[in-house]
Amino acid sequence: MANGYTGKILRVNLTTNEISSIDTSEYEQWVGGHGMGSAIFWDLVPDKTIDGFDPRNVVTLMPSPLAGTLAPCTGRTEVQGIGVHAYPTAWFTRSNFGGSFAAQVKWAGWDGIVVEGKADKPVWISIVDDKVTINDASDKGDGLWGLTTSKTQKAIWDKVTNKHRYPGWLAIGNGYTTQRPAVVCIGPAGEHLGRIATLVHGGGSSAGQGGFGGVFGSKNLKAISVLGTGSVPVADSKALIEARVAFAKSQFDIDNPQDGQFYMPGQGSDPPVAVVESNHVTGCTSCAMPCRRRYVDGVCNESQCGEVHWYITATTDDVIYGTIDLVQEYGLNISDVSIDDNNRYLLQLYKEGILGPGKQIDSSPLPMEEIINGTQAGAEAYIHAIAYREGIGNDLAEGLMRAAQKWGTAEKDLETGRLFMPGYGIMWHSWFPAVYWAYGSILSDRDINEHDFSSMPTYLPADEAIKRYTDILSPYNDPFMMDYNWQGKDGTNMAAAIATGIYSESKAKLVAWHRDFTRFWKQTLNFCESFQSKGLISGAAPDYKGFTPGMEINMLKAVTGKDLSLIDGLNLGRKIYTLDRAIWALQGRTRDQEVFAPWVYKPGTGEGEVQPAGGSTKKNAPMWDGSGWSYQAAGDMFLDWNAFEEWKTKFYKLEGWDTKTGQPTRPTLEKLGLKNVADELEAKGRLGSLV
Amino acid sequence: MVDENMTKEESKEPKEPRTFSRRRFLLGSGLVVGSAVAAGVAGTTLAPATAEANGDAATIALAPAGEVVQQPVAAPQTACVAVAQSEGYLVVDSKKCAGCLNCMAACSLAHEGEANPSLSRIQIVQDTFQRYPNDLQQYQCRQCTSPMCVQNCPTGACHVDTANGNVRVIDQAVCIGCQTCLSSCPQTPHRTIWNPTTKKASKCDLCLNTPNWGEQGGPTGKQACVEVCPMKAIKLVTDTPSQMETVGYNVNLRKPSVADLFMDVD
Repeated sequence: MANGYTGKILRVNLTTNEISSIDTSEYEQWVGGHGMGSAIFWDLVPDKTIDGFDPRNVVTLMPSPLAGTLAPCTGRTEVQGIGVHAYPTAWFTRSNFGGSFAAQVKWAGWDGIVVEGKADKPVWISIVDDKVTINDASDKGDGLWGLTTSKTQKAIWDKVTNKHRYPGWLAIGNGYTTQRPAVVCIGPAGEHLGRIATLVHGGGSSAGQGGFGGVFGSKNLKAISVLGTGSVPVADSKALIEARVAFAKSQFDIDNPQDGQFYMPGQGSDPPVAVVESNHVTGCTSCAMPCRRRYVDGVCNESQCGEVHWYITATTDDVIYGTIDLVQEYGLNISDVSIDDNNRYLLQLYKEGILGPGKQIDSSPLPMEEIINGTQAGAEAYIHAIAYREGIGNDLAEGLMRAAQKWGTAEKDLETGRLFMPGYGIMWHSWFPAVYWAYGSILSDRDINEHDFSSMPTYLPADEAIKRYTDILSPYNDPFMMDYNWQGKDGTNMAAAIATGIYSESKAKLVAWHRDFTRFWKQTLNFCESFQSKGLISGAAPDYKGFTPGMEINMLKAVTGKDLSLIDGLNLGRKIYTLDRAIWALQGRTRDQEVFAPWVYKPGTGEGEVQPAGGSTKKNAPMWDGSGWSYQAAGDMFLDWNAFEEWKTKFYKLEGWDTKTGQPTRPTLEKLGLKNVADELEAKGRLGSLV
Repeated sequence: MVDENMTKEESKEPKEPRTFSRRRFLLGSGLVVGSAVAAGVAGTTLAPATAEANGDAATIALAPAGEVVQQPVAAPQTACVAVAQSEGYLVVDSKKCAGCLNCMAACSLAHEGEANPSLSRIQIVQDTFQRYPNDLQQYQCRQCTSPMCVQNCPTGACHVDTANGNVRVIDQAVCIGCQTCLSSCPQTPHRTIWNPTTKKASKCDLCLNTPNWGEQGGPTGKQACVEVCPMKAIKLVTDTPSQMETVGYNVNLRKPSVADLFMDVD
């Protein structure tokens, strides 16, 4: 039956050079994307305690069954495996990237790619329809190892297509195409096993979190290239086209822009660059709200968000503009290297005098004054040193947390927040006052980076917004899921915080709902986060009615024939999240580790101490006052240790996990159809108990 | 003009629609039937009254029955011949296009029932590293005023659909897969496309024949690519675009308000 699947998943073993396929039907109950990735990882990695750099680590790159069709914003590829970045334990983790890769995997006839083992020399994998080869990437072969990411991709384009002159039709594989191969690769940072190295595709699509660039490097895998000439079969083409046309009409009208209209094109690009350089907006395959750009100089094409302001000391446009590509070309995660995002940690230590040439923390070979003054040379030296692990760059390539641990500054700076990491040794993009983000992250493997509730629809009266959320958040339908009452600076509001606010059972329901929603409706179907997170309530839609979950349900049915309700999907999401939880349990996760850095529990007053919630005075946090709802400012929010610990217990109870350890239990696992998972946890002494 | 491919039977009698008919052959070979001169034919009777038999809308005047049309003898074989112009054309704006390829997915789904850019009759080709505006180009069928694919198709499969606004279409039932239309298209990439599974050619028909979509197509109807494009970078127009280079087909579809999005206005 035509259902969005091609029927086979590619499996490549770099140790044995064996190329084989997995029948998609074996994993179809997990649907695609993250669900399949977790299940495949579970089956293929017997020892979940291995290090991310271990050859036995398996990396899955999974599109969704919707990829390569007309379902909007489904061009992303979900990447999973044991990471190398989080501290002290690098969890089994996820990342994803956009562009054209996911669609090409489908058009080539594959539902996903699984990589295991380690090649004995640098290699790259080429997929052209059903023909898969492992090729020599070293100097003796195709000479890719050592190249920047753009040079790597262009070199591979020439090799795969035999220097084809576009835009003519290329006869290749089983047919013809006018498209270029989709390549995902590592730069020098990944080659040098950077824990903060990324996978890069195109000019600016990248899998940033988890250090998968370093994982690829540890496998001697430089790149994967895919080009397809085939079809993705869909269950109901007519329904799919109609659903997409109807959806298009409900979105922005670029010819008649309205205020607040659904995410206008190009908004992800942080326009300082866009203002300077002539450009046009571009988007991933199947996109409905293109957020990238390509510029008249061909510089920093497709970069956006944090990438365009990482070098915050730069003051002139030519340097701002000229340093963006560095992180893409070398393949580095800006959340650690960004001088902006990391709270200028390096610069603060330098200012304090403990970091510098010949100082207690020797900064060589970094030209610190150049970096302070925001010069092009400073940025280049900085990125180069980290990628190639030179001098202090070797410390930084381990991630800022491990660097600070080595320098002996971590403990003190985690007390004050100068080391700006709430948990697991990684920078988080946001967390407070929308605690769903902080809690969801600490109960998972990384900064969740899921914006579904990060900004409230303040264009609606508070009680109206709450009513809408309550309707959407089935099966709980509890209005207090969205209550942000916290204990207050003097602690006098603790009763409300526990009863209905951030430490309540209602908040546990919100986090549980959100874990389930994102694991299935977001990361298994691979809807672009930036897009879908605007779908619950939409400021631009008539009557602000968001497209979630109706759009996703329609697209899933039209492509795959699967007729899932919101709750069917949430149940699947719960199964997937619990499987992930079991993997973390095997990696040694217990509730003692699910705590924030000390600064998160402090009000953050005084010099050098950050405010956990950022300090905004904007009234954007809904709060119940006993008789009605209103938006209040909560930019001074911080957590109470005991209250949060008690809240964790509430969450574990809701999930059916051991309240002493946070580990999943047999009844919970078996109810989800995961008996074999319970058996393994028990065998390894990691199974929780409800007693 | 006598074509060596024409059989003796076919030269005598009109045939049913959608088969290798003489009239269809004549149209397929680019001849104008009626007042224009058929080059190089002396004293041949052009078969009259085939329009009614074929049931086609008679937009072309035929010589009265039985009249012998005197033709000059030495007229050049290379004379350019015109066919009725299409009443609909797609124009695009490659500075507005975001390279999302939704048009390609919609086209292949509407026509073939599966999502495959290689089966799309509109092609978007891009290089993520190139300098704007050279990073991306949209390549749509131009519904040429002088369509070489139509002229050179030996079976008439590729023809002018006079019942539907003169859109240049390829009849899959008639196509024999000779691939002549692929090399006839003067554009790169050729807009006539090849299906290696069915071994037939197809081309943009302005969505006249979309078994997998419920809307009416053609010059007075809707096109799947136009409907799904998030940037409104494809548009159906009815005036024949300039045939010079791409000036008529790659146009500015942007409103001044795109300046607010930091896009180029011109």
